[in-house]
Amino acid sequence: MAKITRRTFVGVMAASTTALSMPSIAFGALPRVVVIGGGAGGATAAKYIAKDSKGAVDVTLVEASKRYYTCFFSNLYLGDFRNYGSIGHNYYGLAVNHGVNMVHEWASSVNSAEKKVYLGSGATVSYDKLVISPGIDLKFNSVNGYSPEAQSIMPHAWKSGTQVQLLKNQVKGMKKGGTFVMVPPPNPYRCPPGPYERISMIAHQFKKTNPTAKIVVLDPKNKFSKQGLFMEGWQKHYPGMIEWISADTHGGIKKINTSTMEFETDLDTFKADAASVIPAQQAGRIAMNAGVNKGDWCPIVPASMQSQADENIYVLGDASIAKSMPKSGFSANSQAKVAANHIRGSLTGSKVFAPRFANTCWSLVATNDGIKVGANYDAKPDKINKTSGFISKTGEDSNLRKATYEESIGWYSGITSDMFS
Amino acid sequence: MKSKFVFFSIIILLLFSNKILADDKALAGADFEYGQHLSGECVTCHNSTGLGQGIPKITGMKTAVFIKKILAYKTKEKDNAVMQMVADRLGEVEINSLALYLSKTK
Repeated sequence: MAKITRRTFVGVMAASTTALSMPSIAFGALPRVVVIGGGAGGATAAKYIAKDSKGAVDVTLVEASKRYYTCFFSNLYLGDFRNYGSIGHNYYGLAVNHGVNMVHEWASSVNSAEKKVYLGSGATVSYDKLVISPGIDLKFNSVNGYSPEAQSIMPHAWKSGTQVQLLKNQVKGMKKGGTFVMVPPPNPYRCPPGPYERISMIAHQFKKTNPTAKIVVLDPKNKFSKQGLFMEGWQKHYPGMIEWISADTHGGIKKINTSTMEFETDLDTFKADAASVIPAQQAGRIAMNAGVNKGDWCPIVPASMQSQADENIYVLGDASIAKSMPKSGFSANSQAKVAANHIRGSLTGSKVFAPRFANTCWSLVATNDGIKVGANYDAKPDKINKTSGFISKTGEDSNLRKATYEESIGWYSGITSDMFS
Repeated sequence: MKSKFVFFSIIILLLFSNKILADDKALAGADFEYGQHLSGECVTCHNSTGLGQGIPKITGMKTAVFIKKILAYKTKEKDNAVMQMVADRLGEVEINSLALYLSKTK
């Protein structure tokens, strides 16, 4: 018998471990998770399941785009505080660092009885657990006269990418002293302070290059997120430039005409030189197709983010009804970690911890004038329950506002690193 | 000479073990896996690669430093609305678990 040295012993042990683990690999027994949508919810869920299961779960992320442009901070691109490239991210980190199987295709349908996702190419992917994090679809016909064709004339820019570039070009190219009309969406919608940060960033552009321009906001609501803070900032930085008109005041937008650039309301007909219309929203189509919606959005079990319609499907982010959390990238990232922990626990028996949710939304009003709102949440049987929160105060010191803006830059770096690397 | 060496070695060992005991006591209920799970909440803002600006790196932080900072937010001695809210719902076991995990993570 050959003398067994320490080295050969370790080698034999390694070989027998491999042999023992072979059958499960050979028979494809690894549990499979498919994630649809590579945004703040989906990318985070895919990463955490893959990272923490250390190869014990097979994770496939289905995302059509190879480069993902974040909605958050797209307003800062409008205001020239970020360049376009800086809000784009790829999925190499998820594939290379964590072994996530990237499938750059559209998910066209879900067969929940057979636990299969059908892809645009006709191929299928099977799952044990499915995560649906598709973001929003726009209800174009919620504004009379708006349509997919009209989105190049009056960009919604509420999904990031080329729409945001188009909007920025139109803002920069608007005639001197012209009027920009903005129509924010009705509740509930993605990123509650987003339309008002957008107004701030457009005003910031006009102040630099077109100071006699006006912005008219025809809001379908009577109040909005961080209203006091935005109003104070508009008065301070852009006096006389922004006119916000509430639903009760204009009586509703009856019709928009994309040829004449007119907005008909009970109060008046407003003529625009450039415009942005953000229609009402609903969960991304694949959620409807999977049958996990109830009306426009998808009810979930607060403790796990599982769909109320199917325990093998989890719905994250904007598409879910995660009351009282707002629809935000931060919320989706937070929900993804709760779901990832629960999915891993159910597939591998790993420890499932009590769910904890959090959200903070930063907005930029002007150079070095950042504001924020945030809250902690826990899971009650019927809803995600707010347990504490804060909001910036009007009249805050400029050093604090600058620190808040700098904090938002740190957050962007943090969350995008958390999602993609 | 040899006995002197043994004597000092014992003293050093005793000091060292006292330090370990003191740390263990300070980190009552600390659980590495729980700390790793909880840290998911931190890395949404605190860049895990340490490249963040405006928000400091927290990985690799010594346990005592981390605990001191978190407690200062909890008692509102340190001023930051987000961190005060984060610290507010962390109990002793959560803080110790995070301290343990972050101190051992680069």
